[in-house]
Amino acid sequence: MLLLQLLINGIQVGALYALIAVGFSLIFGSTRIFHFAHGSAFTIAAYVFYDLLAIAQLHWTIAVLGAAAAAILFGVALNRFVYIPIQKHEGSFFTVFVASFGVGIVVQNLCGMLFGRSFVAVSTPLSRSVELMPGLYVSPLAGIAIAIAVLFFFALQMFLMRTHTGMAMRALSENPELVRAYGLSPRRLSMTVFALGSLLAVPAAVLSAAGSGLNPAIGHHVMLISLAATIVGGVGSLRGAACAGLLLGLAENLALAWFEPQWSEAITFIVLFLFILFRPSGFFGRATAS
Amino acid sequence: MTKLSKAFKLGVIACALAASAAASTASYAADVTIGALFPLSGPNASYGDIFGSGANLAAEHINADNLLGGKLSIQYEDSQALPQQGVIGMNKLVNVQKVPYVLSAFTGVSKAISTIATRTRTVAVNGGGVGPDLAELGQYFWNIIPLANYEVRAIIPYLVNERKMKNFVLVYVDDPLGQAIRKELEGALPPAGGKLVEALSVPATAQQFGGIAARVRAANPDVIYVASYGSQQSQIVKQFRDNGIKQPFASYTAFSIPEINAQPEAAGSMYTSQNIDWNSQDPVTKRFVDDYKKKYNKMPTAYIANYYNAVRMFGLLAQQLIKKGQPVTGENLLKQRVETKTFDLVGGKVSFAENGTVTMPMQINEIDGKGGKVLSTSAK
Repeated sequence: MLLLQLLINGIQVGALYALIAVGFSLIFGSTRIFHFAHGSAFTIAAYVFYDLLAIAQLHWTIAVLGAAAAAILFGVALNRFVYIPIQKHEGSFFTVFVASFGVGIVVQNLCGMLFGRSFVAVSTPLSRSVELMPGLYVSPLAGIAIAIAVLFFFALQMFLMRTHTGMAMRALSENPELVRAYGLSPRRLSMTVFALGSLLAVPAAVLSAAGSGLNPAIGHHVMLISLAATIVGGVGSLRGAACAGLLLGLAENLALAWFEPQWSEAITFIVLFLFILFRPSGFFGRATAS
Repeated sequence: MTKLSKAFKLGVIACALAASAAASTASYAADVTIGALFPLSGPNASYGDIFGSGANLAAEHINADNLLGGKLSIQYEDSQALPQQGVIGMNKLVNVQKVPYVLSAFTGVSKAISTIATRTRTVAVNGGGVGPDLAELGQYFWNIIPLANYEVRAIIPYLVNERKMKNFVLVYVDDPLGQAIRKELEGALPPAGGKLVEALSVPATAQQFGGIAARVRAANPDVIYVASYGSQQSQIVKQFRDNGIKQPFASYTAFSIPEINAQPEAAGSMYTSQNIDWNSQDPVTKRFVDDYKKKYNKMPTAYIANYYNAVRMFGLLAQQLIKKGQPVTGENLLKQRVETKTFDLVGGKVSFAENGTVTMPMQINEIDGKGGKVLSTSAK
């Protein structure tokens, strides 16, 4: 029963990791920007949702829309006012990474100042588990997390495959010059990528606020998972990032059946090391580094 | 020219002597700065706010009473509750600010900075960390909080004998504090008639506890002892309740923070803290409680009293040194503490054991959603 319980927990956590990782992977794959502040988009969305729902007492749909708007605005503004100017002047991958890292720390401290530094949680009956059978507890949030992850991933695939903007975004990751040759603006496309990538962090942020609660430092863990999932899944592969996110969530939880809980985070890195050693291109990545 | 040169030299010497006299007077009775190494950012930053509220109030009182003949200030450095950051902050306080007295918090940070305290003869005073080995960090490291061994030994007889809770599960943060509490529980439970059926360690950064809740359910304990701190313990409590854990929680002083007290899932939790009668009419306690309530519109907690006491103790020691015409250095503060047997602090008269740690009576509190209630008070 313990294994089954851990398996269900793993799928729930993995579904959220998958969404976050897909957002990060989409941005990194398309723009080659190591968007460390993706964790900050998650934190902002979660706190805006918490603030609108628990403090301002607005309807949950407004809170979700507010969280989505805040995350998109953050992602787009960061690209427009931080990444693009840096790329224009220097363009070094490392400088962009450091800037992104710095933004992550600033956002963490701002969230602490604005929303308080302590732990907060959205109180909802949806996070309360019910005993499905003796010893097996599942909360409604688990089902919601899985359904939303599947829905978002399907919608993203449709967008990338069936729309002009989606196809242009895919082309952007392959050859920005070609995109320009077709009269499209790589800068405008990268804005869309950031908006979409940040939006993908929103469901996980909202469900985390309701399920496990928040503190301003929560973005670090999100970033860690996104990074690991992107590498395990194969850089540039959204399908890979989604599978890797799910795998990491499962590994983290199933490890509890045999190991001390302190090892659960280390499991993420063990999985990462194993992939780096035996399958450096990840699940669905290209065979050679590109 | 020679006369002029002589006069100039004399003038310089006179100025130097005057400056030296002024400087030495300044070190006896003038503006004094002490340091504080608190988490001001990161997941434990709420503790920094809590600790700082007590320390600042004490500094305000010392300045209002003109205890030092100059202004007392506190220079805060952000430890983030991490040993490495703590050492950086301590180096800055000791080597740049040259403070004689530093407020410390968290077991890991306190252990990390203790060697610097000893080497530079700077007094470090801990009012928040409770790892038992904090009592063995040298004569310049003082604890103004009862350590975890006292806390664990106080709650075990109550839980085992009075509440008939025999089987314990420990969920502890994998750091010196958590490991020390595990050691205490392993040692103290069997003689008391209890049993540690499972001990689950979690990294300090962990935020997902749904899986661990499954392990706890499988162990089926009578009570779950949580040895963590900050937002992590709130997340443990919430996620355990969400995941069907119905057993009560027990813990130590770390549960005496507003966010846990206000958390509906924490209702019924029991925790130890030092015994302070907030309604006491002794002037120090009354002034502290009244002014704290006036300033923050809520009751203080044990942590706030500890850091108030830590700063107040500095004020009392420094006042004695100034009266004697001795400079306020770490070395002199230590000598003065040994000489002064008892201190009038919040909670009553306090004395130090030889190892620089206070011993106080303990109390067991229950979180009831209405500010908490005292279940039992233990002897020293």
